[in-house]
Amino acid sequence: MKKTPIIILITVTLLAGLLLGAKMIQVKGSDTMVNLVQILAEEYMDKNPGTPIAVLGGGSGTGITGLINQTCDIANTSRDIRPKEIDQAWDKGVSPKPFVVAVDGLSIVVNEKNPVEQLTVAQVGAMYRGEIKNWQAVGGGKQAVSLYGRQSNSGTYVFMQEFVLGNKNYSTDMKEMNGNAQILEGILQDEGAVGYVGVGYLFDETGQVRKGIKILKISKEPNGTGYLPTDKAAVDSGAYPIARPLYMATNGKPKGAVAAFLQWIVGPEGQAIVEREGFFTIGEGKYKAANDKNFK
Amino acid sequence: MRKVLRKVTDFVLGLLMLPMVSVMSLMGQTPATPPPQTFSATVYLDYRYYLSQNGPVTLKPANPATAYLDNQFIFRRAYFTYENKISDNLKFRFRLDADNTANVTGVSLTGTPPSGTSTTRDDKLRPFMKHLYLEYSNFLIPKMVLNVGMIETLTFKPAEERWGLRSVAKTLVDGYRDITKKDIASTSADIGVTLKYSIAKYFRMAAGYYNGAAFSKAENDQYKEIELQAQITPIAGFSIVGYYDYERKLPVTAFPLETEPTLATYKVDAFFEMIKGLVIGAEWFVHRSDLNQTSGEKYDVGGWSVFGRYAVKPDKLQLFARYDSYNPSSLDTGLDTTLLIAGFDWAPYSSTWRLQPNVWFQSYTDGLRYNASATKNSDIVFNLTFFLSF
Repeated sequence: MKKTPIIILITVTLLAGLLLGAKMIQVKGSDTMVNLVQILAEEYMDKNPGTPIAVLGGGSGTGITGLINQTCDIANTSRDIRPKEIDQAWDKGVSPKPFVVAVDGLSIVVNEKNPVEQLTVAQVGAMYRGEIKNWQAVGGGKQAVSLYGRQSNSGTYVFMQEFVLGNKNYSTDMKEMNGNAQILEGILQDEGAVGYVGVGYLFDETGQVRKGIKILKISKEPNGTGYLPTDKAAVDSGAYPIARPLYMATNGKPKGAVAAFLQWIVGPEGQAIVEREGFFTIGEGKYKAANDKNFK
Repeated sequence: MRKVLRKVTDFVLGLLMLPMVSVMSLMGQTPATPPPQTFSATVYLDYRYYLSQNGPVTLKPANPATAYLDNQFIFRRAYFTYENKISDNLKFRFRLDADNTANVTGVSLTGTPPSGTSTTRDDKLRPFMKHLYLEYSNFLIPKMVLNVGMIETLTFKPAEERWGLRSVAKTLVDGYRDITKKDIASTSADIGVTLKYSIAKYFRMAAGYYNGAAFSKAENDQYKEIELQAQITPIAGFSIVGYYDYERKLPVTAFPLETEPTLATYKVDAFFEMIKGLVIGAEWFVHRSDLNQTSGEKYDVGGWSVFGRYAVKPDKLQLFARYDSYNPSSLDTGLDTTLLIAGFDWAPYSSTWRLQPNVWFQSYTDGLRYNASATKNSDIVFNLTFFLSF
């Protein structure tokens, strides 16, 4: 009978130890990356049951804000961190360290009934700026261009604006969708639609390109060779012109469980999942070198 | 040069667009997808209880036994804000603010305002215009921001952002008059322009040029106020902000020797945010005016403040404390007032709905305000503050 309080005390201490020891890694940010990082987290947790990880979307801007306000451990971002955000972070004692975890061929997608097969970067930019309003102007049918894009807190929105629209404003006619899936949904219903999504969203569960959509080839110059975002060699070589790195950013050099999780993602196991989910691996070149530098 | 000219042209076109958008709306010809617009409201509501035996600092009724304002509900602030993101670089803001037309602690129960205040018991919570401006980001060069219109001044902003509890109390200079009942030429908004530029994460600077008559007021003399501010952040999480403002005023008959009176404020802030969840800040300032004189002798107005807040659970629970020292006259330490604030900020459901119970310990010399005898008093005021934002 006298042992009961001791047993209770030991049990409470062990439970408390487990709870305190199992600090959850909070990951927040890019909607382009949310599915990929969720799958990475699930597989990592299967192998490391002592490391709980929670992954939320909300857009790259939301993730970076979370990192600045220290409400998350890792920010997923599909764009570079802006100078203004670096200033804000610096004020609050946060030094963001971005790690490239995958490469995305940002894909320009239309309805499968659209006869257009290829566009230049300049043509895509002109469409999204509202300067090209009809598909006839780019070799298509007599059909109004219907623009589908993301909201301004999306890293993809910012990346497109910077690298495709030449830092000009989007047309006010663009429909601002909540996520990649919503953009694809819009394209399926709209024959005049054009949208941009991460390459990982082009495939269904069987690994086939989703029915009802067409991926356009993109060339750098008029009459130049067009490439598909699904062409790994073209993305790696830079021949596909709108590829981008996807980042997971931490506050300073990552430590402990966060460092272990990131090391696993950029290692062979994590990169195999990146490839399986339709994105491209970081390879052995400049992205790996940058990651190695940030881990040190 | 062409690039600069184009930016200026963009900005002028932006300004011209505003009335055009209004006219288009009236004609029912709005664009297919209007620019992103947001409406928001923020409300600070207090249940305030004076625990002091002597009555609240700014209310000393003739007969405390019969007229004692010991508790009340107060809407201290209600903001209504409309923002329109005209383009990625151009934003428009319209903000209405509402509070009692004078500090609520100056309310008289008898209908006769206490000395130095103008409020009677019939005063209503009334809206007034607080902000009406255009903000142009990346103006001329990246990371340069231009604001034009009825805009936020530079004076309080850095400290207010770090204190982060405007619903609990204004920062040192902003709340100076409320606490001491002594006028200070400082305002949170004014009509004019500000230009801010971040050279690097280590160094930022800003300048302002205003009427100097405060928000919702027309210019009252030919002189303008200038503000200059510089922030140095040598290491992540540690910042020092220096601030200076200057304005010339019209002469007043009370001080005939001051033919060209001037006002100036010097302010230094320091902020420490190097530990996760912890913010520590300090403010010091001195305000010099040729019109602050007692028996022909000029005096400075000044004060300092230290504050800290710690997020026990981010977005859910934080603890805070602050100590202010107000020195309304460098010639008379009898006017000195101190204020200690402590409490916690709790968001039980979401960050848009918060409870912020807090206690104010205020120490002052009562006799120099309303009574003949100068006696040291201390007030203890409990506030249950409700913060609502939607």
